Amino acid sequence: MKILVVDDFSTMRRIVRNLLVELGFSNPLIQEADDGNAALAMLKTNPFDMVVTDWNMPNMTGIELLQAIRAEPKLKSMPVLMVTAENNREQIIAAAQAGVNGYIVKPFTAITLKEKLDKIFERLAASGASA
Amino acid sequence: MTATMTAAVNDGLPPEVHALLNSADGAAFEQALDTMVRQREQHLFRALGVLARDLHGAVCRLGSDLANEGVPESMTDARNYLAEVLDMSSQAAHRSLDFVDRMRPEAEALSANAVAVLGHNNKADDPVAVLARQAQVFATGCAEGLNDMVLVQSWQDLAGQRVKKVVSFIESVESSLIELVRLTGALAGREAPVEVAKVSSQDEVDRLLSEFGF
Repeated sequence: MKILVVDDFSTMRRIVRNLLVELGFSNPLIQEADDGNAALAMLKTNPFDMVVTDWNMPNMTGIELLQAIRAEPKLKSMPVLMVTAENNREQIIAAAQAGVNGYIVKPFTAITLKEKLDKIFERLAASGASA
Repeated sequence: MTATMTAAVNDGLPPEVHALLNSADGAAFEQALDTMVRQREQHLFRALGVLARDLHGAVCRLGSDLANEGVPESMTDARNYLAEVLDMSSQAAHRSLDFVDRMRPEAEALSANAVAVLGHNNKADDPVAVLARQAQVFATGCAEGLNDMVLVQSWQDLAGQRVKKVVSFIESVESSLIELVRLTGALAGREAPVEVAKVSSQDEVDRLLSEFGF
């Protein structure tokens, strides 16, 4: 599964990558982008199966990236997991309204990440089966 | 009755009030009232003038104090220090992650070797088997500890986000100071500089401050 990890902090990109590998995802298939603009450009030119993104980033934020993904016909069904320090109610609602698939508040554990990913894949499988 | 009132009026009220109360007719009353209001206004304007001069003086002192310490350099320094903090903390976190990357395969190899040894010899009291079991427990504990160590490094991201917020706060203080200097300069009768919609670069900051001698 090809995953794009988007965060302006290289430390956090590395941590998320590390956790994903620990959960069994293939390291070479994980790619990184340091803001929404870079991520969107990569998503438009390469096939990815999922995006894990931060919220607070320069140039294009995570919520703007999510909105751009949902507005792009080719990408609109891409699962997006938001991993962010933003934990106020309005922002979580905004992410939900923009069509986020999962929302994790930093700092988080590998168990939380696994739970959210499992839930995303369960829902995708259910919607795929019903379609 | 009149005598009592005059006595009371003479007793402590300012002369302009006395004049007002003792006005002979309507015109004299109006005139006395005008005089009193004008005097009051002059007091108010004088007080406002003193306040404006004090404010301008205070802002000038603030500006020159900061300038002596190197503003805008001190603002730039503050931003640079914070950028260094971000950089150093990022390097420290990456070094910890490098350590985890180096140690994880070691722990996995130790665990695998212990399992292999135990495949040949799993006697309860054989020293080799005892050591192999201990090595396996240790390797498992190490792997868990290394995973925790990875997660703990997220402090760098969280602390870094706060540092970035402080940087943007410094920028807003800096632009507020410049606006204050501009306003009080205008109050003090200096010609206000051409409106700067948004001060974004250090050069603009320096140029704007220099217009007021900072």
